This record gives sequence, C-alpha cells and structure tokens, in this order.
Amino acid sequence: QNLKCVTHNLRKMICTWDVSSKGRHGQTDFCYTTNDLPPPVCFKTKEKRVEIPVPESSSMVTITTNSISGTAFATKEFEIHKEDIWFVPLTPRILSLTPDFSTSTLNLKWSDNGSVFPYGLGAFWQIQILRKAAMEKVTQVTYYSKLTHEDIILSWNWTSDMPLECTSHYVKIRCYINVTQFVGPKDWSDWSPVEEVPGKDTEPNGSGVFPQDTVVAVGSDVTICCVHEEGQQIKRMTYGPEIYPMIHLSSRSSAIRVLNASASNTSGTNVVCILSGDEMDGTVLFVGYAPDIPQNLSCETSNFLNIKCTWKPGRPSGLYGKRRTKYSLFERISGRNVSCEVNEMNRERVCGFPVLADQKTYDFILGVSNPIGQTESSLVVDLTQRVHPKTPEKLTVSGNSSTSVRLHWFINGSFAEIRLLCQIEIRSGHSERKLHNISMPGGKFSTYTAQLNALRPYTKYHFRVRCSAADHFWRWSDWSMVEEHTTLEA
Amino acid sequence: MAAADSSSAALRRRDLCSRGIRLAGKMRSDVIDLLDTYVERQGLDASASVAVVEGVPVAAVERWDEQTGTQRLLENLAAYRAFRALLAQMLEEQREQLGEADAALGRALAAVLLQVSAFAYHLEELLRLESRGLPSEEGAGPPPPSHLGLFERKLWGLGVLRELAQWAVRSARDLRQLTKPSPGSSLAPSPAESP
Repeated sequence: QNLKCVTHNLRKMICTWDVSSKGRHGQTDFCYTTNDLPPPVCFKTKEKRVEIPVPESSSMVTITTNSISGTAFATKEFEIHKEDIWFVPLTPRILSLTPDFSTSTLNLKWSDNGSVFPYGLGAFWQIQILRKAAMEKVTQVTYYSKLTHEDIILSWNWTSDMPLECTSHYVKIRCYINVTQFVGPKDWSDWSPVEEVPGKDTEPNGSGVFPQDTVVAVGSDVTICCVHEEGQQIKRMTYGPEIYPMIHLSSRSSAIRVLNASASNTSGTNVVCILSGDEMDGTVLFVGYAPDIPQNLSCETSNFLNIKCTWKPGRPSGLYGKRRTKYSLFERISGRNVSCEVNEMNRERVCGFPVLADQKTYDFILGVSNPIGQTESSLVVDLTQRVHPKTPEKLTVSGNSSTSVRLHWFINGSFAEIRLLCQIEIRSGHSERKLHNISMPGGKFSTYTAQLNALRPYTKYHFRVRCSAADHFWRWSDWSMVEEHTTLEA
Repeated sequence: MAAADSSSAALRRRDLCSRGIRLAGKMRSDVIDLLDTYVERQGLDASASVAVVEGVPVAAVERWDEQTGTQRLLENLAAYRAFRALLAQMLEEQREQLGEADAALGRALAAVLLQVSAFAYHLEELLRLESRGLPSEEGAGPPPPSHLGLFERKLWGLGVLRELAQWAVRSARDLRQLTKPSPGSSLAPSPAESP
C-alpha cells in the first residue's frame, strides 16, 4: 500500500511502498508494464523501492510480497497514471562557498545539474543565509536561471550587513524546476547540506574589532562587532564619543549597529570595545563621500611642451592620506595614462600631461576614485586652441629716433605651430594708455620684436607686453614687467 | 694647568646640565601640548590606559639614587635616540594616514622630534665632555608591529608620547643630580682614565 512514485529527471522514477502486515518478509516480486504494452518486466527486490521508467501515459504495477520461505502471501496491483507521479528535482550540490572578508561578501557556486533536463526549462533556486550558532535565518532569496541541457556552474553573491568575521554564516539551497509539460505534482527539492563560513568567534586567537579600519559612505548603516576571548565580558562599546546598545551574536561576539553614519574627522572615528579587566580593543571607521564629478575641467598649454589640466573637485570626500581621492588623466588617442599628484587641501586641482609629438587633439578622461566610489570627467581639446603663453620676459626697448622705438621680448615655449598675437601697452606721462596689437609667427624659445612709430619726441613712456594665440584666442599671458624709455629729442 | 682644565670642564658641564634642564622642561611642556592635540585629533579618550609599548624606553627606574652620572647619561641618550626613531615613525604614519589634512598635528610632531634630536645631541656633548666614547646608534627602534590595526597604532602613539613626557621629567632630575657635588653625580672614569 501507499505506493508513491517520484521522478527526479523526468525519465526514471523511484517507486516506494509499504507492507501492511508486520513481521519479517522475504523478497518481493515486482512487475510492471509500460504504456499497456505487454509483456511485463519483472524482477525481485529486497527493498521496498524500485527505479523504473516514467511511463508515457500509465503503468500497471504488480507487487507480490513473499514470505521468508519464498511463498507468495500478498499480491497487489496498481495503475500508476502520469498525474500520480511526483516530480522533485535532486538536491542541489553546493560546489563552494567563498567569503571575501574585505567586502563582507559570500560567493556561492553550485551546479544546476541541467544535463538531466531538456533545454530551456526554468529553474528557481531558493538560497537561505543563516547566522550565529543558533542558525537564525537572516535572509532567503529566490534566484532564477534557465537550464541548457548542460551542467552549468551557477554563481551568486550576497553581501552581509555585518562583517563575516563577526560570527559564523551558513548557506543552504534548494530548487524547483518549472516543467510545464509534466502533468504530475511538482515540489521543491530537499535543502542541500549547510555550508559554513566560520566567524572569528570560533577561532582561538580570533579576537578583534571588525571591520578593521574600513571606509564607508556617509549615510551608511554599519555593524561593528567585538570578538573577544571566552569568559571575557564586554563592558561597553563606543562609536566616537557615544556608547551604543550591544547586539549579542555569540558567547564571544557582540555588535553595535550605527545607522546613517556621519562623516568622520580626518583621523577617522574610533570604535572602542572596553572589556572586563580594562582591556581595550578597537578599530577605526572612515566615513566619507564618493568622489564628486570634477567640475570645470580645463586643459591648456603654456609652452607646447606640457599640458596643464585644472578642475574643481566638488564636494570634499572627507578621506585623507592613503584613502584620499586619487586622480589620473587618460588620453584616449595616444592611450597614455598619467597619475596626478594632488594636494587634498588645495581647492583647485592640477595635473600635467606631456605634449605628444604630432598630436594636436587630445581626448582626455580624468578618472577620479577613492575607496567609496569612482567617477570621471572628459574633455576633448585642440591644443592650438588652448594656448595660454607664459609671461613675456626680458622686455627691452631700443630706439635711436624721436618718434619710434623697437621692443624685444622673450617667451619661454615652443610656438612654432601657431601665430602669436601680442598686445603692447603704451603709457606716457599724461596717464594716456594705448594698446598696440601685433601678430607674428610663433617661434621656438624665441625672442620677438615689434616696432612702434608715431611716438612723441622727448617723452617718457612705459611699455609692457602680453601675448596669446592669434588664430584661436584662448587666454592672454600675464603682462610682462614694465619697461621705461624716453624718446630722443626731435 | 691640570687644575685649571678640570675647573673649566666642570664649569662647562654645569652649563651644559643647566641648559639641558631647561631643554627638558621646554620639551616636556611641548610634549604635553602635543599629547592634548594628539588625543583630540585622533579621537582618543584622554584617560585611556595603554599597555607598556614594546620598543619604547621606560622612564621609571629602580634604585634611581644609586645610578652613577655616566649611567644616567647613557640611559638618557639611549632613550632619546629611541624616541627620535619612534617620533620619526609616528610622523611617517601620520603622513601616510592623513596626508596634508592635519598639518597642525604634523607640525607639532615635527617640532617635538626636533627637540628630542637636540636633546640627544646635548647628551652626547655631555658624554664627550667626560671624554667618554659615545655608544653606537642601534638603528631605528622597532616600528609598530605591522599587524596592528589603526586604533592600536593610535594607542601606540599615545603610549610613546606619554612615556616621552615621563622621560622629560626624569631627564631634568638626572641632570640636576649631575650638577650636585655628590657621589651620585660622579661620572665613572672612562676606561682610558682608570689608574
């Protein structure tokens, strides 16, 4: 009686039954026919369980129970309809459960055993995470995948809300396969055996406060635990200046939960675990911001030797030293990458990039990252349109006439690829100010010359000069030093 | 001539000792200020108890009265050489952890490091005066064990500064002891001089 047939792979089914009468029995004669086609297949078995093919429609089964001496004493016939056959997938096999303590993440890998099933079936995987010695359920997740008639290794990550060191974590998994064309009842597989990631509270020298010296974003909810020796008591746990209520995890581990963490000061927020016997252990939590998208990214050259990019960093990250926000400048066309040495305390940030031979256009990506996040800003520039020459130097004025002079000045840089526009400011004693513009071919670390006419004889003049790119104005250089000159008498 | 030489040496020694006492006093007040800044900037509890820190010379000494002058100077010198290395490590740690973010603490640390170096040099002067060979430098003291977490390193730094403050007090007492004409202040003759 109670004949029940279960298939795990839609092809074979395992039938089990009970025998009503007590006492010891001999072998059982088991016969079945498939889809009403004689002859029956018969065999003897000691078990009350056989594996036979799943019928197309139905199977006739005859079970004869024999006595110890081999004489038949009970025979029963059953008709198994397809609708009566249960479909229960095999228990999934966990291949690996790998902890990443730095990110408090568990990585679970298991085989989907898909080779057993036709292509394209949908499979649901229920994964349970348990915690603490009491194996309290933390979460249960359902993951969906498609079977491909091959054994595929599936992988799934789960990030814990507390450091994995704090206490032991356990994982188990079961599956349900959605065989729509299977008419019989379907059920979830059994749960897999539990896989464990032991916490530090199970290790002899596992004491400590976790996470150790980590960085989190402002606004995060953070669980910090104190793992101590057996028999020790935690008197209190403080986060910064405040004492926090403790959450018991195990006999050697308790935690506090900090909600909506605010930005820490430069040296981080101390989390201190005061233990019995005035022992103390602790960690430092750095609470900051992910980097802001750099604003006003601008790149220019002052000498066609190197390019200077500047930007505004946006909101400070609140992270310093080796956790500070780091910048790198990547140029897409050349593929070159430069890491930028940046002083966190300066409002404006600067990064240099070499001018490359035979490259006029630069496609920059300013990469920004810190332990909390990363972002980037991009800019494409034609260097000849971003010339901001250095200050003209060594301005000299010469002239042996009463109405004209010649000015000479030097600009540090290589401007052979462009024309320069220079502006000469002419001031004479009557606070009269004139500007004289002159354009000229750029040179390589050259001295430039300009002649000024129509000056007044025997008059003291003050000259200074500044330059820029002639064809695509970007920015004037700074003014040169002033040079004084008096024209000759008429 | 010998009498004149020895009285000028005594005068020179007294001058060095009294200047050393002033240096120690200034150093102590600066270390106390630095301690306050350090505790505040590192978010520590000023009353936090810190276990004896490995590699940090301990100021407390048994039978202090029985020490000879040379012993005092040699122990002081060894201590301040160790503190010079320890403070240099703290400065390096501070730069690594905070970069330019906490320049004030960095400057205060550097200032005390300078004073410790000056005081060590001062002690060497005193020992040279006694024509004693200077002990060789044993290289930088042990760095904070690398497995220490940041919080423990903060406590380690606190332990270093607290002990330095104690040493500054002891050094002033030692130098005062050297200026007194009593056995405790006598500098044991160096081997070269022994009869």
